[in-house]
Formats: sequence, structure tokens, C-alpha cells
Amino acid sequence: MTQTSTDAPVLHIKGLSGQRGAFRLTVPGLSLGAGQALAVTGPSGCGKSTLLDLLGLVLRPAAAATFRVMGQDVSALWADGARGQSGLAALRAGSVGYILQTGGLLPYLSVAENIGLSPRLLGQAVDRGWYDHLVTQLGLQDHLTKAPRLLSIGQRQRVAMARALAHRPPLVLADEPTAALDPATADRALALLLGLSVDSGAALILVSHDQRRIAGLQVPVLTGVLEKNGQTVRFVPPGAGDAR
Amino acid sequence: MTQAVRPGFRQAVRLASRDFRHDWKVSLCLCVALAAVMTPLMVLFGLKTGIVTTLQTRLLSDPRNREVVVVGSYRLDAGWFSALAAQPGTGFVVPRTRSLAATLDVRVASGKAEPGLELVPTAPGDPLIPPDLRARPLADGTVLLSQSAATTLGVTAGSTVTGQISRIVQGQTEVRRWSLTVAGVVPEALFSRPAVFAPLAFLVAAEDWRDGREKPAADRLFASARVFAADLEAVAPLAEQLRQQGMEVRTRAAEIESVRLLDRSLSRVLSLLLGLAVIGFLLSLGASLWAAVERKRRDLALLRLLGFDGTALALVPVTQGLLVAAGGVALSSLLYWPSAAFFNATLAGTLAREEFVCRLDPAHYLIGIVLTLVLAVLAAAGAARKVAQIDPAESLREI
Repeated sequence: MTQTSTDAPVLHIKGLSGQRGAFRLTVPGLSLGAGQALAVTGPSGCGKSTLLDLLGLVLRPAAAATFRVMGQDVSALWADGARGQSGLAALRAGSVGYILQTGGLLPYLSVAENIGLSPRLLGQAVDRGWYDHLVTQLGLQDHLTKAPRLLSIGQRQRVAMARALAHRPPLVLADEPTAALDPATADRALALLLGLSVDSGAALILVSHDQRRIAGLQVPVLTGVLEKNGQTVRFVPPGAGDAR
Repeated sequence: MTQAVRPGFRQAVRLASRDFRHDWKVSLCLCVALAAVMTPLMVLFGLKTGIVTTLQTRLLSDPRNREVVVVGSYRLDAGWFSALAAQPGTGFVVPRTRSLAATLDVRVASGKAEPGLELVPTAPGDPLIPPDLRARPLADGTVLLSQSAATTLGVTAGSTVTGQISRIVQGQTEVRRWSLTVAGVVPEALFSRPAVFAPLAFLVAAEDWRDGREKPAADRLFASARVFAADLEAVAPLAEQLRQQGMEVRTRAAEIESVRLLDRSLSRVLSLLLGLAVIGFLLSLGASLWAAVERKRRDLALLRLLGFDGTALALVPVTQGLLVAAGGVALSSLLYWPSAAFFNATLAGTLAREEFVCRLDPAHYLIGIVLTLVLAVLAAAGAARKVAQIDPAESLREI
């Protein structure tokens, strides 16, 4: 449907703002290509979750000059009623992979079935080579037939990564994926996620309040900065907020 | 885009069944709860159908229940008989001669004799005649005996007897005799009095001879008739019609009516029970499915986030409701059949062969299953609406 050229951005945003209650955030500009990663950080309560909802296509933008995922106009889909909702669901299914803070696995499916959820929903055959690569890299080969509740939190989080990447979505959103892990496990998990995103050719957005750990990753960063009016948070590269 | 929606429906159904299996304890409880309501209802329906059917079969199998007995003496002509015979409600009608003239003395070669046996006119289609003799007219010189007459005379089918009538002409007793072959015997259950069943022509000839008529009258009048309705429903209207003509008639209407009344009142009671059960089932399954959505809200929101359509996910409670219904039907069927067999076995003494105390009409059984499945879908409607409205963003929040 859309022409996919390697240099067309996966995510392209200009002048996006979102509102939840009295709280408002804006993203002046953001463009992310295949294989690129971006970290979003800021203190607790700065609106990272709201931004993630916007990018995750589950919160209607208050305004957007440009908001495209894989070339599709997200604002137009939000404006298109029930048909748009179906379109958004389809876009979420095909183009976005989600890694949640905790859980994100269905208790009644085995690890392998949880990983296969998105390909099944899309009616795709599982890409054997990619699946094996994911499972081996994440060290899950011995756990595939187990129920998620039998795994440790760290293992579950690795299953969640495999599930998010299984259908090779062009955009991967990770919401504090390591918050529940101990520091050593967290570092290993983040490294794996970054590596696998590059392998998959996905654009990765990593949301974390842990600015120290983000700094060590050496990826571009957007930070939430409260504007002088005290009501709007702007997500901008570090330093950009001070310049204005 | 659309091809992503299609597997969504299939996947939603699949996930619903997996969740149902995973939560098997809760699922089993729901199925057992349904079976606990359904099994007694099935047994009650089975008993009602079984008892009413048995009573109806008994009524139907006894042709005397269809008889409209004409009491007294009238003047009925050929036109009256052909008009009555032409009515759809009439099963069988044959004229009767005057009852005083309709007797026959019978003796057998051994010397046994029975004077003044009742002569009953018969014709093809007479419901009292054994089925193998009913279709064709009796041959000249053949009769049937009622069981009590045959026993007294010590004869069976195939025996030859002598029939005799007498008249007094100018102080002289004259006698007329026939050699008669016994074609068959009418069972005690159908006719208890000693009697001879003979073709109408025989009775007419006997009456004419007694009255001294040399040749049959062209426009003959008959005193009475033997009348049988076509079926049980036709008895009352037929009797009413004859009463309107000023005739006195008797039927077994009370027995027919009592079975019909039993059927009606049992149906009414069972409908009430069924109504209560339906409401209970709708509310309890509806509440359970609703609670399940509430309990699994985060999982369902996750599926919305992963791109499942709201309408596809609405199939989750619907599928689970249908699974509960199917499980409940299977369970209650498993419980019903032994119960029915138990009733039929313990009460077998009071039954003839081919009769049942407890019996479910396969059509009713099928209707019951379909009704349960439809109700399950209805019960799931509230939960389905709730699922369709779940905000996918809920899965992103810590709860």
C-alpha cells in the first residue's frame, strides 16, 4: 500500500501534542529510520507514559502537523471513526511491537505460543530462521513449552521482547522494560534488545526514567522538559530546551 | 488492512477456548451450575412427555375411546348414514337394527347352546374387529364371536356353529337356522358382553324375517347406529353434533379430557419452571462472563494493544459462553440418560412394552440444545459490549 524505501522514516513527527486531563505535552520534531534507536527519558510524571500512548496509537493526538507511522497518516486514522479504529488496530498489529514494564504475556498460552501471537494474528507463517535467532539470543530454548508463570521475572521480560519482535515490526516501543529487573540483568536485557532491534531492522523507542543507564547506551535521547508556563512538557534533545 | 481483521476473529475464538481450558476449574463450575439447572428440567420434561404420551397411546390404542354410543331408538334413513360417513371426523359408522330383534340363539355340535346372544352389525373398517379381518367384508355365512361368547360355547376361529331365530305366526312357532363359520374372535378388552358380530345384511334379513316382511323395503329406516370418531379430538364434536339432532349419546369424553387436561397443566407448570430457569441461566452466566472480563481486563487490553479489533475480542465472552453451554448440555445429557433409564426400569411393571415413563422427544432435545446455545450468546452480550469498549491503553498502565 505504501512504497517502502529504505530511507523513508518509520516514524515521522512534526508538532505533535497530546493531552491527558490538564496535562499537555508536545514533541516539536522526531524522525526515526529503520535500525535506529531513541531513548525517551525524564523524571517520573513528566509525561513519558502519555507520549508512549501517543506513539503506541492508543491515545488520540490533540494536534499534529505530521504524524506518520510507516507512511500512514495516524491523525487521519484517528479522525476516521470506526473504520479508523480498525485501521489503527491493524497498524498496531502489523507495524508496532510493544514491550511492557511487566507482564504483557498471556497466562494461558505457552512461551512459544505467546511469542507466536502477533504472527498468528497477522496470518503470517513464523519466519523459522528469525524465530530461532530470537529464541537463542534471548536464551529461551529450554522454556518454550512452559507457562509464563513458571519463569523468573527476567525470563518473562525476555519472552516479552521475543513476542514484540517475532513479526519483525518496523517500530518497537519499550516501556521501562528493565524496571522490574536487578541492575546486572537489566543491563544485559537492554543490550540484547538494542542488538536484536538492529538485527531486525526495527526503529526502537526506549522509554526509561533511569537516565544513568540510558546515558550508557549511546543512543540519541529525548528528554521531557517542563515549560515556563508550568503546564506543558516538551520532549526535546538534551540542551535544546535550555536554548529556548 | 482487512486481512489482519479476519485472522483476528479466528484467533479471538482460539484464545477464548485456550483461556477457558486454562481456567478449567472456573469453567467446570459454570458447566456444572448449568447442568444442575438443566438436568432436572430435562427429567421433568421427559416424565411429562413419557407419561402423557403413554396415556395418549393407551387412549388411542383402545378404539372404544373413539366410540360415540347412541342410546335409544330413532328413525335413521340411508341419507343420514351417508352424510355422517362423509364427514372427516367420522371414522366408522354402521346402521343398527332394533335391539329387540337383534338376537341370535347359537348352538354347537357338542350340544352347548347360548340363547339370545346380542347381534352386532359390522362392516369393513370396524375398529373392534381384529386387524387381519377388518379390511374385507365378511363372507356370507361367517361371523365373529366376542371372547366371552366363544369361551361359553367352547369354540375358536374356524369352528362351525348353528345360528337360529324364531317367530310366532298365528300361534305357531317358526324357526330359521343358519350354519355359520366363526371367522375370528373379538378380544375381551374390546367387547366384554357375549355377542355375535355379523354383516349388516344378516341382521337386516333376520329383522325382516321376524317382522314377516317377504322382501326388503327399499327405503328402510334403522333404529340406531354404531359410530366411531376418526380420532380422539373428533369424539366431542361428533357427539355434540348427534346431540343437536336430538339423540342421546355417550362417550368416554371425560377420560380423553382428563388426559388433555393433564397435558395442559403439566405443560403450564413446566413452562413456568423453564422460564425461571432461563432467567436464572441468563443472569448467572451473564454475571460470570462479566466478572471474567473484569478479572482479565489487562490481558484483553493487551490483545487490543497487539492489534486485535474490538469486535473480534467481543467474541471472547461469546465463545466462552458457548463453551459453557456446550459443556452444560454434555454434562446434563450424561446425567439425564441414566436417570431416565432408572425411571423406566423402576416403573416398568406398570407399563406395557413400547411404553416409557420418561422419554425426551429428539426434536425437543434438539430445540433445548439450540435454545441453550442462543441463551449463552445472549448472556454474553453484556460482557461482549464491555470487552469491545476496553481501552488498549489500559495494558500500558501498571495496575
